[in-house]
Amino acid sequence: MTDVLVDADALREQVKEKYREVALDPDATFHFHTGRTQAARLGYEPAAVDALPDRAVESFAGVGNPFSLRRLDTAERVVDVGSGAGFDSFIAAGQVGSAGSVVGVDMTDEMLEKSRHTAASLGVTHVEFRDGLAESLPVEDGWADAVISNGVINLCADKKAVFAEIFRVLRPGGRLQIADIANGRPVPPEALRDIDLWTG
Amino acid sequence: MLEDSGFVDVVIGPPVDTFGGSQGEEKARSYEVFGYAFLARKPA
Repeated sequence: MTDVLVDADALREQVKEKYREVALDPDATFHFHTGRTQAARLGYEPAAVDALPDRAVESFAGVGNPFSLRRLDTAERVVDVGSGAGFDSFIAAGQVGSAGSVVGVDMTDEMLEKSRHTAASLGVTHVEFRDGLAESLPVEDGWADAVISNGVINLCADKKAVFAEIFRVLRPGGRLQIADIANGRPVPPEALRDIDLWTG
Repeated sequence: MLEDSGFVDVVIGPPVDTFGGSQGEEKARSYEVFGYAFLARKPA
């Protein structure tokens, strides 16, 4: 029996469409909070957020704080799975410093354009954004000291594949530090198979 | 699922009311959906 409940490609296209909206029209109303308000709500360090331009923060749609249980160390190599407009990647870049390296991976063109533009405008050279999927990260085996992600894995149809891929890119002893949602009450099987409910 | 994937030393942070006050709040409440931070390690 498969653990994949919906068509992965169809879900991916729906997720892309939703986050294309978040990239292009971040002030629109979504079913989740966005931007600086959400970053404050989730307990991000105010000074780190204040230092970022609006373009890096306005499309932030995280559901938790991947740095709340542990900060990153100086000079670490980090992969951000589903980096969106780059908010968590830029926070990570500040924590690891210029001796470190951050690779953000996202599948939505509009998000990649936004994050790359922000990196260039900030003159940040130890952050790069790559086009890719959580299930097949464009990162070599064992490269990362830490993998971060925020509100992304719940949107992936094959979560086991995502965790296997995170495991692959981590070095032995490396850390996963992610934020995501979990439900306390069981969701009915028919709802789990309703692709519209995954993104809205 | 993290442990099934080979991770160890799994730590889960406290729940965060990530959807409170948003359009998704009602649906989130109905299934007790909260945000969590997760920390885990790949064995050395």
